[in-house]
Amino acid sequence: MAVVENTVERKGSQKRSLNYKKEKCVGCGICTDICPTEALKLGPLVPIARGLIDMDYVKVDKEKCVLCGLCAAACPFEAMEFKIDDESIKYNEAYPKWEHKANIDEETCIYCKACETACPTDAITVSRKLPERTKLVSGEIDIDKDTCIYCGICEEMCPAEAITMKKENPEEPEITVDEDKCVYCLICKRSCPVKATKAACRSCSYGVYEINPEDAKITGNSFIDEETCINCGWCQEICPVDAVTVTKPFEGEIIFKEEFECKGESCHACVDICPCNAISIVEGKSVVDERFCILCGACAKACPQKGIIIKREKINLENVRSKSWQKQMDKLVETASK
Amino acid sequence: MPVVIDMEKCGKIKDCPGEVLCIKVCEQGALIEEDGELVLVPENCDDCDICIQSCPNQAISKKS
Repeated sequence: MAVVENTVERKGSQKRSLNYKKEKCVGCGICTDICPTEALKLGPLVPIARGLIDMDYVKVDKEKCVLCGLCAAACPFEAMEFKIDDESIKYNEAYPKWEHKANIDEETCIYCKACETACPTDAITVSRKLPERTKLVSGEIDIDKDTCIYCGICEEMCPAEAITMKKENPEEPEITVDEDKCVYCLICKRSCPVKATKAACRSCSYGVYEINPEDAKITGNSFIDEETCINCGWCQEICPVDAVTVTKPFEGEIIFKEEFECKGESCHACVDICPCNAISIVEGKSVVDERFCILCGACAKACPQKGIIIKREKINLENVRSKSWQKQMDKLVETASK
Repeated sequence: MPVVIDMEKCGKIKDCPGEVLCIKVCEQGALIEEDGELVLVPENCDDCDICIQSCPNQAISKKS
């Protein structure tokens, strides 16, 4: 038996290996809940989440692990990689498949990058190409050097920073307008005390119909990295044009025990562990925004008072062919609802 | 009611396998180091219990 860190590997008629991926694990404890041989143990979640100690959230007991692969199939974050003859069961049609996914409709996306900013795992990359300014605004601008008194008002006022004045040589000051930057707003013309600026905006005089609609289009690409996406729903909620659809790993609800007295700011273990940025402390109490919660249960595991209950009603895991596996998977739904 | 430290299980701070995670996780300053030993400041304890699960020696508990 070869042992490398949190990896278990054995060779028989098949070569099987289980590899714990620290960077993907959120400490939810789904694997420790369903492991049939109790080979998986959770470490001190809160200190790990806070970076107080460098440890893995999950420890695999190599002696107890029977390399069944159940943990790998049940982990919604793909933090356990189980391979048979060097091939991940992710690609093996005999094994369960998660239905969770996040998708951005390219037709609808306006490349505003709101999702990119909101994504708690930095899984989204949006690249966009804005129209060229010179194709959208055009006009004429000229500063009469003989009239100009080089007061610098226009340079200071220009919102496009298109005007530059050089006064290194006081005898021969220079003033230039960068026409690639100029938006023909005419502020320079209005602010010039000696009317040295001659400027006209072509769009204003002739209307916007001169612009080729193709030139005004914003183009781009939006991409969700499946490797890091946890299907939390932030992108879906924040998208101003409803271009994103997210299917979460579980359906159900998260509730607080009635007798639970949350210590809020004193503790905030739930806030620290939540991979989805779904929890905040409001008026001294933990509040979960269900729009962003994926019911992974990390908060319930981290809560020192065990005051959080994850009530999963459905698991979006398909193709569970084995009955014994189904029974174990059902635990995630059943035990949670108790 | 504040937590209770079992000094026998706790031992000296220099021997702590968790490198005093209890002190690090408690943001209320209810657990402090004094002369190489862990000391509880009961009036600072907010009963959040976060130290209990962080102790590798299981030396912190609640009197029930």
